[in-house]
Amino acid sequence: MFDNINIAINVLLLIPFAASICIWLAARGNNRVLLYMLHLVATVATSVVGIGCVAYVVKGGSFTALNDFLLFDSISGVFVLAISVIGLLVNLYSIKYISWALDKGEIAFSDARLFFSLSHVFVFTMLLSVISNNIILMWVAIEATTLSSVFIVSLYKNKRAVEGGWKYVIICSIGLAFALYGTVLMYSSAYHIIGDAHKAMLWTSLVEHSKGFDPDLMKIIFVFIVIGYGTKAGLAPMHTWLPDAHAEGPAPASAFLSAVLLKCAMAGIIRFYVAMNSIADVARFMQSVMLIVGLISIIIAGMFIMRQHDIKRTFAYHSVENIGIIAVAMAFGGATGFFAMFFHILTHSATKALAFCTTGNLQEIYGTRDTSGMGGLVRIAPLTAVMLGIAMFSLAGMPPLAMFTSEFYTVVAGIEGKQYIAVAIFLIGLAVVFYGLVHHFNDIVFGKERGEVVHRGEVSMGANIPLIAMAVIICVIGIAPPESLLELLRNAAAIVVNNR
Amino acid sequence: MELGLIVGLSFLLAALSFMVIENRGLARATHLYALQTLTLVLIFLAIAWEHSIGVLYIWAGTAFFTKVLLVPFLILLVIKKTGIKHEEAPFGGLFHPFISLGVSIAVAIMLEPIFIKFSLLKLQIPIIVSIFVFMMGILGLVFRKSAVKQILAYCLFENGVHLTLALTAYNAPETIEIGILTDAIFSVIVMGALAMRFFNHFGSLDTSQANELKG
Repeated sequence: MFDNINIAINVLLLIPFAASICIWLAARGNNRVLLYMLHLVATVATSVVGIGCVAYVVKGGSFTALNDFLLFDSISGVFVLAISVIGLLVNLYSIKYISWALDKGEIAFSDARLFFSLSHVFVFTMLLSVISNNIILMWVAIEATTLSSVFIVSLYKNKRAVEGGWKYVIICSIGLAFALYGTVLMYSSAYHIIGDAHKAMLWTSLVEHSKGFDPDLMKIIFVFIVIGYGTKAGLAPMHTWLPDAHAEGPAPASAFLSAVLLKCAMAGIIRFYVAMNSIADVARFMQSVMLIVGLISIIIAGMFIMRQHDIKRTFAYHSVENIGIIAVAMAFGGATGFFAMFFHILTHSATKALAFCTTGNLQEIYGTRDTSGMGGLVRIAPLTAVMLGIAMFSLAGMPPLAMFTSEFYTVVAGIEGKQYIAVAIFLIGLAVVFYGLVHHFNDIVFGKERGEVVHRGEVSMGANIPLIAMAVIICVIGIAPPESLLELLRNAAAIVVNNR
Repeated sequence: MELGLIVGLSFLLAALSFMVIENRGLARATHLYALQTLTLVLIFLAIAWEHSIGVLYIWAGTAFFTKVLLVPFLILLVIKKTGIKHEEAPFGGLFHPFISLGVSIAVAIMLEPIFIKFSLLKLQIPIIVSIFVFMMGILGLVFRKSAVKQILAYCLFENGVHLTLALTAYNAPETIEIGILTDAIFSVIVMGALAMRFFNHFGSLDTSQANELKG
């Protein structure tokens, strides 16, 4: 589409940024159609350009732009793909979701305008964080994702939403402060070796000079980074903000946070990992750290999933579990492990977006998030029941759905690495989560109706189309993943493996 | 260790940080914060002058306008709008000041050798103080219940990072300092707006009252 990817990368950042300003300025006077149209045009344009950029890096290669401040390689490609495709579908769903909230008088028109305007700033900050070549710019962008999303999370003006929003901003700020310290330390040590202030901040030159870094310092920096970006990614035990923020925000916001935002923070950890893993001693240390936090995340999440009654909190703990799986895949390492890691980032992104958007339908049907007030969904709204089924069974790792495939590769990577005990703990964790999910699914879909049904029948088709698209993506990736997608993932994994 | 201007100001910065956290009057704590940041600005000027680092004069200027004037103004606005004058007792009660002092000093002394090894300016006391201020802020965020005090604690650790950055990486591209500063100001604006919303729903700024979300 673009002759020059440099222009495309700049345009990719420009569209959401300009869109947020346009929406804020233009959509006034209760004009819902204009608001939705501006949102729709901007979200489609961002996705088209995003996918166009990804097409350049499917076969490997990397491009820099804006005086080397931005970097687009296969790793960025994986994340931009998630933001472009899943972001588009969630944004489409949000139009219907917000119009329900407006109809019911839960929010005012000005709130809806703020929501759409901020959601584009949010996309802008996420894109910037994953294509930044500058370590501090990346930090600035990840911190900005918190600031731009906090009012999306606390859109509903009630006690719980304010509490969720406050915890979100405070806990993430504490975490990110550690990441900033780690980043400044990384720069200082790189400057001593590289001797150029501009280059000492670029991933591309850090990777080139990585063999000269001080191993002990690198270990300390990695711990700072895992505490920092790990808090934002929702790794246990720093995950405490996550269930509150995910549960109290509107469904599309929860979908965005879980499906895309958490991965952007993981991108920070992955970039540091790539920059440091040429030192064998440091690589072993980083793998041990990721294995421990990954397994802790899976186990803690499993315990909480078992006793949840709030459907959104259940899915929120699933995010903790899946970020744990990504961490474990990273720890197992090797070509298979990193491939599984990038694969899981995409499969979880699609699955969790579907799961959270379906909770929007459930809330519309039952008027509650409490699973003990739900039941008989298959008779009330069969299509929503199927969507929920696909989301939940993919989350549970059931073949042939998408997340089974990425989890399978993770296990293979563990066996290849002869980490049998870790694989065993990993599988036990997954089994606990599987049980918890099937139990909830049965109650909601086949159980008796236990409470009031506010809306009998399917919600409007406009809301269901994006969900069907997500479900198709989950099935296709699970059954016959496109070769170009696998190639992108293999090339992303190769960047990590080759820097040994 | 020479007791020069920079070292003297660093000790003053540490003392003021402790006072910002421990003063229970919210407006007074904010005024102390402005004074603390002014001390930070003076440290930038002193370093710029003694070590002939031109760029730190610019850092001092931007920090003065954004953090000595704008940020305290925003926080005082929240205090005025909510009408709440005093903070609630922190978690840990009477032991709190000793715990936060002890932990902050210990961490600062522990990390200083690592920081100084790669620092552009090998100034031991300012580096220890920068980590100390950072830790006081972090512990303040964790232990204080008042939303305004948490915002002040955020600003405090931001000042700690700012000083570390000036000592270890003053030669970094200017866009970086602008980026971090912009984030810091927007953080205060966002937290301030959320604190007001919190007050509207809970009738206080005591964040420990918000405990509906559990499990």
